[in-house]
Amino acid sequence: MSEMENMQEQEVLETAEEVVEEAAATETNDASEPETTNTEETEAKLAGSAPVKQKGRKIPYERRKALYGYGFIALWAIGTIYFFIMPLIESFIYSFNKTQPVDGEMQLEWVGLKNYIDAFRTDVDYSPALVNMLKDTALKTPLILVFSIFIAVILNQKFKGRTFARAVFFLPVIIATGPVIDIINGNMSTGGYAGGSEQFSSMFEANLVDELLNFLGVYNISDSLTEVISSVTSDIMNLVWNSGIQILLFLSALQGIPTSAKEAANMEGATAWEYFWKITIPYISPMILASIVYTVVDSFVDPSNDVMLLVLTKSSSWEHGMMAAMAWAYFAIVGVVLGIVVIIVNKIVYYEVE
Amino acid sequence: MATKKEEKQFEKECKKARKERLKKMKEEGIEKYLTPDQIRYNRRKAAIDSIWPIFRFLILFGLSFIILYPMIFMISTAFRPDEQMNDPSIIWLPKSFTLDNIKDVWKIMNFTETALNTVLLNLIASVLEVVSCSITGYGFARFKFKGKNILFAIVTLMIIVPPQIITIPLFMQYSFGWITVLKGGESLINSPLTMYLPALFANGIRAGLFIYIFRQFFRGLPKELEDAAYLDGCGPLRTYVQVMIPNAKTSFLTVFLFAIVWYWNDFYISSSYFTRNDTVALMLKNLDSTLIQELFAGQQVGIRQMIVWLEAGCILSITPILIMYVFLQRYFIEGVERSGITGI
Repeated sequence: MSEMENMQEQEVLETAEEVVEEAAATETNDASEPETTNTEETEAKLAGSAPVKQKGRKIPYERRKALYGYGFIALWAIGTIYFFIMPLIESFIYSFNKTQPVDGEMQLEWVGLKNYIDAFRTDVDYSPALVNMLKDTALKTPLILVFSIFIAVILNQKFKGRTFARAVFFLPVIIATGPVIDIINGNMSTGGYAGGSEQFSSMFEANLVDELLNFLGVYNISDSLTEVISSVTSDIMNLVWNSGIQILLFLSALQGIPTSAKEAANMEGATAWEYFWKITIPYISPMILASIVYTVVDSFVDPSNDVMLLVLTKSSSWEHGMMAAMAWAYFAIVGVVLGIVVIIVNKIVYYEVE
Repeated sequence: MATKKEEKQFEKECKKARKERLKKMKEEGIEKYLTPDQIRYNRRKAAIDSIWPIFRFLILFGLSFIILYPMIFMISTAFRPDEQMNDPSIIWLPKSFTLDNIKDVWKIMNFTETALNTVLLNLIASVLEVVSCSITGYGFARFKFKGKNILFAIVTLMIIVPPQIITIPLFMQYSFGWITVLKGGESLINSPLTMYLPALFANGIRAGLFIYIFRQFFRGLPKELEDAAYLDGCGPLRTYVQVMIPNAKTSFLTVFLFAIVWYWNDFYISSSYFTRNDTVALMLKNLDSTLIQELFAGQQVGIRQMIVWLEAGCILSITPILIMYVFLQRYFIEGVERSGITGI
């Protein structure tokens, strides 16, 4: 159902309810106070002329419901002001100041945009890390998307051992957020130990790609292409380990495809290929958008990406103003990129009900 | 509704009937029934149907191996004696098995106490978070009020803003803000309250995402449910507790499981507010430096020399969550499928 219809129906329902409730109210009131009619205006008039006591009937139904709404989100609202908005504003203020933590408070000294300018112009690591991060995400996101759609389609078919396969593919969701993944990835490696992922990747050396291409009769393609291919193949570990949630999202979208669409396609003699492009993709396209957003945000807030590591080192060396400026610039850039991507993808997305 | 068994039976019969029909058609000359196009289509489909399972198996097997590789490596390493790490003749199966690594790490990580502490912290924080997020989600899903869109935009912001931005100001608040009255003016740092309080107020780990999931789910439930409750004289809170919660069981379980997993795995937020290694994730994060101190008396050693203990630590720290996953795996997957994330 579309939003509009939904709202209308809701209103109709609510007015109907109101009438019912008010009828009930007047019924009970009729005996004692026959003058009190059920419309709000007369109530207000009466309240003006003579105080009428009516328990709980003074606030109109819509307003009452709105108040309950506020009641339900009150807990969150209080918490968000204290645990989210206030720190957010505070860190925004930090980013324009030179900070000096002293006993009991943060000493601030206004420096304007200096922190931001320094981050981009003086800091040697920041700009390259930022560019790297963006490049990485731009390369990784489509890969993860294609891969997870592919796996989701396979896991949605019926075959023996499907439960086991699903359990294995969602395993990364359980493990990949924890410190275990760092040990697996060998991020802690300082003394020459290559973690699981590096060991694994060495099975797919760049030479193999070259040899394969040569075997296929392709020679002398440009180095950059080879580089891209080898970076893809050598990163297959990270690819698989980072697409758990996306597979889950696509799988849930695939289950939402109505059987009627499937049957119709079968009747018309659609091949699996046609079925995929004409039925599957349109139906799961809202989820593609969600997955893009999730993937980008996930790689963006990952504490072990280059920029975040840099930000954290600044924090541990007590340069909080600088840290805040870096984080906010980073946040702004990613926000803009994400916004553009969402706007573009939103044009392609097909919503069944409009 | 047909049961699963009946459905299977039905499918079997369908297949059989189709086969018989095809056989009959072939006997009478297939050209009589089908156009050449249809014959070609059927032939191609049969070919694909017979080859595809093989490819599917190969793909899934290969990728499953990639995912399980670190686990296999972990098990293979954690149970072998340290000397056999450098033996080139050993790849997977060590010559002898030992539990010494596990025992050592257990002692170094102070595992019994740490794990109990973590479990307690996890359970309380997760329960608080699920309850508060579901209430908020319900409020956003079913009530109309002024400023709802703006407020919901803040929820989205909570998903996107990385926690790193707000850590330092929050740290200051916890140490010196008025919230310290809860502990009689003492700093809240190192107290589990730094986990419980945000969770209680729907601001814990990934709370934005949970609120979003709950809102999506409650929006998908039929409106008639609560209308009926209202007409029967239930107040909104009672409707929520007695009508909506029983209907949202799977969704609650899914979110609860994810909350547990994310709290268990979290080391960033806990490392900001805990200076001691109180949780399993923190313990594991700093395991290499602890190992150097405890086992090697402060000497600088490479990761390679302590890999067996590191992997043993990994095994210890993921086992509880893995056991939970094995038993509740169904709910992780089915719950997400049904919990209405689909409606994004």
